[in-house]
Amino acid sequence: MRRNSDGQWLWGLLAGPGTTWLLLLFALPFYGLACMAFGEIDPIFRNAVPAWNPLDWQFENFGDVMHEILFGSQRRVFVRTILYVASAVVLSFLVGYPVAYYLARHAGRWRGLLLALMILPFWVNYLMRMLAWVNLLQVDGWATRAFSAFGLQYNWLDGKAITVVLGLVYGYVPFLVLPLYASLERLDVRLLEAARDLGARPGHAFRMVTMPLSRPGMMAAGVIIALPMFGDYYTNDMLSRSPRTEMIGNQVDFYINGTSQPQKGAVLVLVLSAMLVVFMSYYLVSTMRMQRELQA
Amino acid sequence: MTARHEFNRRRFLQGSAAVAGGLMLPASILSACGDDGGSGAALKLARPDKPVTLPTVGDAIANGLSHEGGTLQILNYVDYLNPDVLARFEETYGVKTAVTTYDTEEIALNKLRSGAYQPDLILGLTESVLPRLVAADLLQPLNKSYLSNFNNVIAGLRDPYYDLGAQYTVPYIIYSTGIGYRTDMDVDTSYFDSGNGWDILWDPAYSGRLGILDSYRDVIGSVLHRNGADINTGDQKVLDTVLADLQAMTAATNPKIDILAYTEIPAGTRVVNQCWSGDMLLGVWYLPEDAGWDVLGYWQPDDMVTGNDLFCVTSKSSRPVLAHEFINFFLDVDNALENFGWTGYQPALEALPASTLIEWEYVPAGLENALITPEQYAAGNRGVALEPEVDARWTDVWAAFTAG
Amino acid sequence: MNPLLRRNPWRRPVVLATWTWLYVVWMFVPVIIAFMFSFNGGRSRSVWQGFSLRWWTEEPNASLLHDESLHTALRNSLVLAILTMLIATPLGVALAIGLARWRSRVAKGANWLMLVPLVTPEIVMGASLLLIFSNLYTGVPLGRPAQLLGHVTFSMSYVVVVSRGRLLSIGRDYEEAARDLGATAIQALRMVLLPLLAPAILASFVIVFAMSIDDFVISSFLSSGAASETVPVRIYSAVRTSSTPALNALASFLVISSLVALALGMVGMSVYRRRRGDDSDGESVLTEFAKFEM
Repeated sequence: MRRNSDGQWLWGLLAGPGTTWLLLLFALPFYGLACMAFGEIDPIFRNAVPAWNPLDWQFENFGDVMHEILFGSQRRVFVRTILYVASAVVLSFLVGYPVAYYLARHAGRWRGLLLALMILPFWVNYLMRMLAWVNLLQVDGWATRAFSAFGLQYNWLDGKAITVVLGLVYGYVPFLVLPLYASLERLDVRLLEAARDLGARPGHAFRMVTMPLSRPGMMAAGVIIALPMFGDYYTNDMLSRSPRTEMIGNQVDFYINGTSQPQKGAVLVLVLSAMLVVFMSYYLVSTMRMQRELQA
Repeated sequence: MTARHEFNRRRFLQGSAAVAGGLMLPASILSACGDDGGSGAALKLARPDKPVTLPTVGDAIANGLSHEGGTLQILNYVDYLNPDVLARFEETYGVKTAVTTYDTEEIALNKLRSGAYQPDLILGLTESVLPRLVAADLLQPLNKSYLSNFNNVIAGLRDPYYDLGAQYTVPYIIYSTGIGYRTDMDVDTSYFDSGNGWDILWDPAYSGRLGILDSYRDVIGSVLHRNGADINTGDQKVLDTVLADLQAMTAATNPKIDILAYTEIPAGTRVVNQCWSGDMLLGVWYLPEDAGWDVLGYWQPDDMVTGNDLFCVTSKSSRPVLAHEFINFFLDVDNALENFGWTGYQPALEALPASTLIEWEYVPAGLENALITPEQYAAGNRGVALEPEVDARWTDVWAAFTAG
Repeated sequence: MNPLLRRNPWRRPVVLATWTWLYVVWMFVPVIIAFMFSFNGGRSRSVWQGFSLRWWTEEPNASLLHDESLHTALRNSLVLAILTMLIATPLGVALAIGLARWRSRVAKGANWLMLVPLVTPEIVMGASLLLIFSNLYTGVPLGRPAQLLGHVTFSMSYVVVVSRGRLLSIGRDYEEAARDLGATAIQALRMVLLPLLAPAILASFVIVFAMSIDDFVISSFLSSGAASETVPVRIYSAVRTSSTPALNALASFLVISSLVALALGMVGMSVYRRRRGDDSDGESVLTEFAKFEM
């Protein structure tokens, strides 16, 4: 008891710098974003001037952008983004779940090698992986020619939704496979044995035991790839760059980096964050729960 | 082709890849009124027929100083300088240069104001940000005694309406906005003969093989020009029409939006592309070896939208004398010519008019009209800097267009 | 029980195995081709024109060896990653220890705060950092200083998670034993806890390095132009303009650097383990890393 309390100053001291850092460079900037979204406009330079005091907040800019999101051009962007991310997540599961399952259950002597291969994409720069596809999908690229050999005459980089969605899948599926593998590997094999001993056929056992037990892991893994996809603009820029595939991230990038109206970008970011807060909280709460279970 | 042709083609194409750049729509001037342009004072637009003397901020450097040596910090548009000419500048003056590039004028202005960029010399900005640069006290007046080559500048730009007396600026290059196309791929050139060549951007025959510039000012400006409207309009109704036109363009031709005309047209992956005048000249270098360089064509409207980029020295420059020497170096005819061979953009020099560049075969046959004659330049349709509210409307139109 | 069933209870892996290997091919072949194209003899990044070292060494201005701007990008990426690693790791490890031991309301709040960056899309962080640096922390110039602060911010939480996993598996027994033997809190920390945390610290170094190298959004939002361009930023802007296979060479070089860092980390880990008398092979070291990645 005594010891628990007399080390407290030390622990506080250790946690201090990191906490302060996060307050100053994570929490406060996010607040600053809101101050920008609700700020004023400098009459000469047309740049947004943040209003640090919430009592000074103006809602005209916010209202303008919200109107666009609900009724105007931004609505198409939001709907499209949600559709793309949803399709990409579903496809990622179709691609990644069997891989993670094989790795956790059947890989045998290949497991070490395969595991290494699953980690390796983390070490290959994301932009390089996209660059690789851009080169392959050029009109004279190897992939395009391979596809046209099968009668698929397609200009893949021509603003195609399918290219963007597949690009997202390619980019993010490694981030899905590893956590899925972890959650499948943790499953108690004895439960499956029991199901089998009780006469369940393999498919049945999978549906009744493996799937439900891996569901929390699946949810967390799905969320962890969906979140960055929602903010992604570079995959889209590299593979399409067309009004037909514009996502929220592209509009944010345009307003913040390409115009003198960053305050509109700030509103878009705020709305996006509000949309994602459900997913974020789900992930955080489930992480906290897992942490507590581990501690217990 | 004669040997001489080939030689000059090589000269023209010497150096390595370059990215074309510069923003179209030269702007006329905004003059600061009220106090010295501090916050709160509104900037007022002036038109070309209302030339402006920019307010004097700070003093120019004294006469007869020798340059500071060291490293000259240059802020430049992407790949907008011939590295060979740059290397020779370094050699001549026994100094180093460090080039930082910017993507858009707005970003450059914001970063200059925040102090993120602290260059000695800025290269490539246009008149549209000039008044704001001066109002923010970011530029210093030039001392012409260091610019012995200043008189090489095109006569009409030695005392430009956007900066009477050329107090802060020296023109770098001149350009126009038009359409690059393939002459050998069934492009219907009657569009260009009939005058309103912009219409070709809506022809579904070129769907998937057509591009426009990734620049809201150029694209919206061109559509306004096509519609016969004021190319600097702030009228929301007119701009709404432009948005509808642009959306119709997406439906009809699904344009690519980037600045790659100079590689894509030569590669043949596109046959029509809105572009800057320098793009097709530069594009010659990107042609496959078996293609003749007469496959490239360029169209611009008769009342061209032309403009010029600028050299400016920053107020906080620690090497102002060297910055002046740099400007003077690039005003030298030989240096400018060599720089042109790399960037594809026409120097704003009297000694290098279009006719001379053609005569010296610096420009392939068929692309003569990608050059701008002094008369055309003088008659050019001048865009002006947009008022902040108008600029916001333009960017919103662009955002709505790219939203698909 | 039937031994046949025992050996092969639910094994039907042919389809799954094929699928998995196809996945591996799909994941890596494009990258390998991109690597191969860095050796292209022509200037195309999509049509093979024969083997050469042109874009690595030969081209006088435009090869990886001679193009100054490519060096700048590489140097920026590597310096940024190393600095981030050196700052984020100690901060994160200290935060992890502090949060694991500190019982207070502040600690609870900090624990939540620490987790949020893990789930925040980069564009949200990039936009808010850019706006704060240009409006409030104007003393921090955009470019490497701002990029460094940003990179530390997004990678610190990973260090905390990695270290916390290790802290949990260590438990408090060793530390309490040390205290019972008369060590002060600081001595126990320095002589017992930190050595035990060594694998997590090593893994943090490696992971932070990888994250920083891989980052595009924060580096791009907080860059001040070519002087502070990192390799990913360069790839992004060069894909949109036309560029030569030197770009592939640049990207390949960065990947090779990351792999070297990973290899060093793994060697370090096995040396550590051998010294502690664990018998370990490459696979278990990898598994360790895999666990940390999750």
